[in-house]
This record gives sequence, C-alpha cells and structure tokens, in this order.
Amino acid sequence: MPRHRTKGFCASAAALALCAVLAGCGGSGESAGGGKIVLRYTWWGNPDRAERTEQAVALFEKQHPNVDVTTSFSGYDAYKQKLATQAAGGDAPDVMQLDYRQIDQYASGGVLLDLAKQKAVLRTSEIDQGLLATGRVDDVQYAIPQGRGTETVAYDVGTWKKSGVPLPGKSWTWSQWADTMRALAKKTGKPGATDPGQSEDAFEVWLRGQGKALYTEDGRLGFTADDLTRWWTFTDKLRREGAVSPAEQTTQLDGSVENTPLGRGTSVTDANWDAPASGFLALVKGGVALAPMPSAEDGTPGQYFKPSMFVGVSANTAHPKEAAQLVDFLVNDRQAAKILGASRGIPVNETVRDEIGPQLKDFDKTIADFQASLEGKLKDPPQAPPSGDNALQSTFQRDYDQVSYARMSPREAAENYVTEAKAELRS
Amino acid sequence: MTTTAIPTETDRVPATAPKRRPKREREGAAWVFLSPWVLGATVLTLLPMAVSLYLSFTDYDLFNPPQWVGLRNYVQMFTEDPRYWRSVVTTVTYVVIAVPLQLALALVVALALKGMKRGKAFYRSAFYAPSLLGASMSIALVWRAVFNDGGTVDNLLGTGGWVNKPGWSLLAVALLTVWQFGAPMVIFLAGLQQIPAELYEAAAVDGAGNWRQFVSVTVPMLSPVLFFNLVLQTIQAFQVFTPAFAVSAGKGGPADSTLVYTMYLYDRGFVASHMGYASAMAWVLLLVIGVVTAVLFRTSRSWVFYASEGDR
Repeated sequence: MPRHRTKGFCASAAALALCAVLAGCGGSGESAGGGKIVLRYTWWGNPDRAERTEQAVALFEKQHPNVDVTTSFSGYDAYKQKLATQAAGGDAPDVMQLDYRQIDQYASGGVLLDLAKQKAVLRTSEIDQGLLATGRVDDVQYAIPQGRGTETVAYDVGTWKKSGVPLPGKSWTWSQWADTMRALAKKTGKPGATDPGQSEDAFEVWLRGQGKALYTEDGRLGFTADDLTRWWTFTDKLRREGAVSPAEQTTQLDGSVENTPLGRGTSVTDANWDAPASGFLALVKGGVALAPMPSAEDGTPGQYFKPSMFVGVSANTAHPKEAAQLVDFLVNDRQAAKILGASRGIPVNETVRDEIGPQLKDFDKTIADFQASLEGKLKDPPQAPPSGDNALQSTFQRDYDQVSYARMSPREAAENYVTEAKAELRS
Repeated sequence: MTTTAIPTETDRVPATAPKRRPKREREGAAWVFLSPWVLGATVLTLLPMAVSLYLSFTDYDLFNPPQWVGLRNYVQMFTEDPRYWRSVVTTVTYVVIAVPLQLALALVVALALKGMKRGKAFYRSAFYAPSLLGASMSIALVWRAVFNDGGTVDNLLGTGGWVNKPGWSLLAVALLTVWQFGAPMVIFLAGLQQIPAELYEAAAVDGAGNWRQFVSVTVPMLSPVLFFNLVLQTIQAFQVFTPAFAVSAGKGGPADSTLVYTMYLYDRGFVASHMGYASAMAWVLLLVIGVVTAVLFRTSRSWVFYASEGDR
C-alpha cells in the first residue's frame, strides 16, 4: 500500500509541477530586450501622430541606449477601454497618454505616479504654469500637459470652393453655421457636416456660448433637460433636412478621423479638435483648412483652449526614473519638439514654443495660425470634468442615436440622459 | 469477521477496521488526482463567483475599495435604468431568433448528411468548420465588413449596411451565431444514427411517406437530443457577447439595437467602472438562465420521448 501511495503522490506532484511551469510561462517579460530596460508607452491618435511619435521615440532610444521603448496606439474609443482595463488590473503602461477626463479618476485611484518625485529628471519650469496646473489633482502633479488644443470646424477646401458657397470667416453664429451647412448640402449633394448632436464636445461649446457649463464647480450636472432638448431639437431638424450627416453615418463614429463622414468623403466639414484634424490631410484630396466653432447669437464664443492631452507615469512602473526621462524628453526636448510639431497641439513648453513656432510648417502652421487667430478672444477653460464624465461621453452619443434613428423625441432622449447623468455623477 | 481469502492483506490491515483504511486511502488518492481540477475550480471559478456575489452589494470602481450599498444596485437595475430593460428585450429577441433558426438549420443539414452515401465525412467537417472559426474575433470583424455599407450584402441585395440599421443589426449578429450550427448538427447526426432502421421499415410498410416518417418516427425518437441541444443553445444564447461586440464595433449600436445583456454588463463594468453594478447584473443573468432552464425541463415532460421508458 505505501508503495501505491507513493506512485499516486508522484504522479500528482508531477501534474502540479507541470501546472506551475505552465503558469510560470504566462509571467511578465520584464527582462526582455537583451538586458535592456523595457518601457511601455501607449497613446491614442491618428497615423500621422503615430509616425512622428515613433520617430521621436527612436531618438530617445538613441540618447538612452539602455532603454527599449515598446509603443502601441489606437483610436480614442478603443484606447480608453483598453487603458481602463489595464489600469484596473494594475498593469497600466509605464508611460501613458491621458485625457482631461481620465486624470481625476486615475489619480484618485492610485494608478498614477506623483511626478514631483522624479523632478530631478523631469523639468517643469518652462511649462506654461496655468496649463501645468491642469495636471494636478489635490495639489499633486500626476500628469504633464502635452499640448494646447481647441475645437475647430475642419473643412474640405476643394469641395467647398467648388460649391460656390462663400468660405467661412473669422467667426459665425450657430444659425449662420446652420444656414451655411444647408447651402453646402444643396450645392454639393452631400451633408455639410457631421451631425453635431452626438458630440458632447460640440454641445459644450453651444452651452458655454449661453454662459452655462456641462458641470457645476462641485461636479454636478450644469444644465437641464430643457437645454439638451433645445440642442437636440436643433440638430435633429438639421439632420432631417439633410444638412448634417444621416444616422447611418453618424453611428459609425469611433473617435478616429477615418470613420468621420468627412474622412469617408461623405460630408464637407467635421467639428473636431485641431491637432487630430491633421489626419484629414491624408483622406481629403481637396485640402483641409480650419474654421472656428460657431458662437452664440450674441457672438459669445463657446470654444476654449484646453490641454489637448496629458502624459502620465504608472504608479506601478518598475523604472520610474527612465519613465520620467521619457516624459521629460517628449515635453521639453528641442529635437523631439521639432519632430512632433503640433501633432499633439501647440507645445506647452514656452521656450520650445517660441523657438519652434516660427519653424512650424504645413498643417502644424495651420494649427498655430488658427490658435493665434483665437488668442485673447476665448473664455477660461472649465475645470477638469468629474470622473463620471468618462462614461457619460458614450452615454451622450448613445442617447442621441435614439434621436437620430427617430426612436425617441429629443425631449425623451434628453430626459433619459439627464437621469442617467445624475445617477452616474452621484455614485 | 470471516477468515480472509487473501492472507497477505490481513497481515497488514488491523483486524479492528479491515475495510475502512483501504477505502480512505483510495479516497485520498482520488483527491490527489482530482487536485488540479479542484484547485482550478476553486481558484478560477468558485472564488471569483463568491467575490462577485459580494461585489454585487457594493459600489466598486476598481480603483478604490468597495463600499457596501446593500441592495441598491439591484434596485437601480430594476427601477431606474431604462437601458437595462432595453438590453433585456434585445437579448430575449436575440435568443428567440437565433436558437430556433440555428437548431432548424442544424437538423436540416444533419438529415441531409444522414442520407448521404459518399463524402459524408467531408461535408460533416465542412459544415462544422464555421463553429471552429466563428468564435474568433477575426471572423466577427469580417462579418461586420460583409454587412457594412458597401459590403457584400449591401452590394448583392442593395439593402444598405445592416450593421448601421437598428432594425437589421441584431439579425446580422444572430446570423453569425446561426452559421455556427456545427455542434448541434453533429449531435443531431449522432442521434439520427441511433434510430433503429426497423422503425422506418415498419412505418414504410404501413404506408407512411417521408414527411409522415419524419413527424412520427424521427421527431419523437430524436426528441431527447433535440431537448439537449435546445437547453444547451439557449443557455449559450443568453450569454452571447463576442458576435454582438464585434459586429457593433464594441458599442452595442446603432441605437442600442445590439446591446445584449452581457454587452451592457461589460459596458457598466469596464467602460463606466461600476463593477458592483456589473456583478449584480451577472447574478441576475445566472438566476434567469437557471429559471429558463428549469422551465424547459418542466415542459420537456410533455414532449420529450425516452425510448427506454417504453410505451407510456
């Protein structure tokens, strides 16, 4: 009998050992890359930004031969989901690009490293102090802004000129904009714009024009169902008239320029952020130019300058120093700035901005000129949105889907949204 | 205590408990052999389930420690979340479309294969292949392309992109599931081959045609297999995720038309970071699937025929 037992024991011990080995294989490859330090760096963006970022990263690797940076990027929607899952699992990338909406949640959740701890290698003295402050939560610098951006109406110059409709000027009101879209649709046979009803960003511009805001200072909803009903009634009418994109087109938006109606060649304009609009160049044959977002009927502008994105370091990184060096390089290095141009917005490092500014060319110059034309005209940006906003952005889009597919009236959908938003912000 | 037949055994085993110890040793060995499975089931299934049950009574955003909220998640789900109810309706619609279609197709193909003289093995594999491929993300993405604007279906039928029409998108998702009819088909085929040929001969002698034979011989004899497939596919259909996720590009759209239950669960958990709410949803789904399965078993008494029961 004892012999019997030994046999069984050995077999199961072997089985367990095998399990352990198999489990071991799934472990992290921290030491991969031939003894080099491996940093993971992720961002969202268009292919143009990706190409320039790869070049900048290659330069960083040249300057730091002991560091190997593995990169990955995707469209914003996919990036947001993936990063949330990684962060929740304690597996956030060493260096990650962050949106204004994510900072509050990730900082309070302990995902981000306090960057002051690495100030020996990460300089912040040349950064615009107002912008730098937007990366702080509870007075801790969790993230560094990477660029300054604002919203714009990007348009297909060729198609617009051919239509005979006068080109946009230095400003327009929402009703002038709507009339122009109607005229464009009539002359070109395709909708003038992406339906702005789906965009929380466009709604915010419209709302701010009336002196209101998405959120109150204590992080509650800053508008009523009536406000949203008016906005959605306005866009619903335009869609029915064919002045903006139909539901089938609008629903395909996923945060990438490729899947916008303008990117697909099925509309003449698209409201977007100025830096990612560079992605349209590769898609729109007739050339791309930027016009300001519409303002309220009394001329009050709703758009604002905001940090277009941030870069942060994971609290769990094994190499905080090297990660901080990469952040420093992306934000402060002259050569990196030359490569990156305005692909993430106008640089926040003021010395770099002054130095690089005159050398900007092509679309980078378009963005710089566009921002210069708005300088001094815009109101202060709102404070960082509460963490629930991250989820509400998609809720907004979905509720508007119900309107654009004519399954709900603007009033019903608006009331739904307000209910959902209040629940989201309460929790 | 009788005198023992095997003297060597009695030498070792104490007379007081001649049988217990070997049994316990056998049990011990069994547990050792079972240990990999027990370990896996405990660590990978039971523990997470227990944790999820606890989380369903909390507010948990993945980053901060869970806060006990009692039944609030359940109350919110049933009383203040219109999107939750839309996802329930969508899921039930999906189950009602996909399961019967899939089973019907599987049965038809199995019947066709049964009568086949040559190449049966080839066709069986060919029809089974989608089940192996279909679960993959890449096929689901191809599916989206096929049913998108300017995709194959749009070009053939001129219907526009199904995936962008709320009335059609769920059908595109269901078709992806229906297409993977291989597993029930193979089971049907095995069931069909079990039906004794003399039953058909007897029926033919009595003058029954093909249809009559199908209704009076095949269906009753096959009913246990049909029932098995029905239960299995229904349970799976309630949990559908991948096809809906891929075909709607991860959004459950357009206008929530493909936002099936598990998609909304995923959205609440991983997009909105409400793990407590998502856990509560998961437990409700588990209970509902349990109830539906119980109901199916209940009705089965009236239509499932077990040959071994004889003529009742």
